[in-house]
Amino acid sequence: MTITSSPDEICTSLTELLDASGVPVDRVEITGAASVGATRSTLFIDIHAGATITAAVAQLAAPRDRQELLGPVDEAAVLRLARAAGAPVPPVLAAIEAAPATGAATAIVGFIGGESIPRRIIRATEEFGTGNDLAADLGTALAHLHSIPIDDLPESIGRVDPADIHSAYSDERAVALDELGEPLPAVRLGVHWLRKNLPTPPSRTAIVHGDLRNGNILVEDGRLTSLLDWEICHAGDPMEDLAWLCMRTWRFGNDDLEVGGFGSLMSLRSAYESAGGEWRDDAFHWWLVARAVWWATGLSRQAGAFLSGEADSIVLAASGRRVVELEYDLLRLIS
Amino acid sequence: MIDRPNAQELLAAMAATLTNDVMPALDGGPRHSARVVANLCGILAREWEARGEVPVAELRALLGHEAGTEGPDYADLVAELDRRLSSSGPETDELAIAALPIVMADVEQRLAVDKPGYSQP
Repeated sequence: MTITSSPDEICTSLTELLDASGVPVDRVEITGAASVGATRSTLFIDIHAGATITAAVAQLAAPRDRQELLGPVDEAAVLRLARAAGAPVPPVLAAIEAAPATGAATAIVGFIGGESIPRRIIRATEEFGTGNDLAADLGTALAHLHSIPIDDLPESIGRVDPADIHSAYSDERAVALDELGEPLPAVRLGVHWLRKNLPTPPSRTAIVHGDLRNGNILVEDGRLTSLLDWEICHAGDPMEDLAWLCMRTWRFGNDDLEVGGFGSLMSLRSAYESAGGEWRDDAFHWWLVARAVWWATGLSRQAGAFLSGEADSIVLAASGRRVVELEYDLLRLIS
Repeated sequence: MIDRPNAQELLAAMAATLTNDVMPALDGGPRHSARVVANLCGILAREWEARGEVPVAELRALLGHEAGTEGPDYADLVAELDRRLSSSGPETDELAIAALPIVMADVEQRLAVDKPGYSQP
């Protein structure tokens, strides 16, 4: 099923949903779109109530669009937990599996301002001299996120055994390579290494954001205002988030600064540990390799979608020529 | 008898046009697409000139094929290496160790085309 509702229907739906959730509202106006897709849309809205106008963000998804991605309602549940734990995320105003008028799974959250374009974030931290502060902001935010008791998570987020996470992840990567249909011996070497070098398991599993990096954060005056894009969050090893954040591919050429091309690893780590996070070096290194394997496979899959005619985007075609960067990074890590 | 501009000169001109004339007039997604195409022009120009020999002899030796002109081609060798690395056991462990420098050399050669300057000393 896809979202086929008109803008008027969507505004009516959001108004009714907010009203039913106890949020003062006369009408809702769509002011822009962060993304509009067949099965998912993220819209900027203004909530009008008397003389008050409140900016917010609405996310709509066709019911059960893609099972592997978190739906808006579960995402809202995670945002509530993250906010209560002290992580910088917007307040949830309303969330429902089937909204009135549209039938779409819908969540409405408060608007948080900030820059999300990676190179502009790097420039802003240079201008304000806040690169290490921003890395520390992220360390603190992740420690707070990872402190959430796993039992509090929505049931749709599968639980995992801490002792099993790494071998299961290695097996999944091997299956994904088998399904790719494109030989990638360098990435196979990565999977082989992952299986031979399993790290110490975490003392407990945590909620892992899964895609926290320069590009999925909001920054204002060089400091963190919000964590974005929770679609692939899952229960797992918290070190996965810290490694992904530090991968070279998210430094945008500013390779000396491990965290997003703007901050030092030391700043990230000490803030994470000061806020109660448990840092494991072997797992950090393991996840650098593991997520390089994952992203090399993902980029190759994007190119495959272009080659098969499933998608005609030149950006997806170009992804095929970026696989080699991840191959190089992971070979360096395992050499 | 020789067409000028040649392929590389044309690709350089195409990249420059996209970067200098087209991109400033665009925003958002279309601007990003123009940047990607300009970058692909650069990749093609380098591929035209710099793509070296593929490591057929090294892969044949690694995988235990006899040397010579007959035998599996490069694509088949890569597929065989991929398949053999996906199994487990002592033989795979040995193969992985022996394959690493060959695969790394190939990666560095492709990197020189796709993203020059990315490899580190």
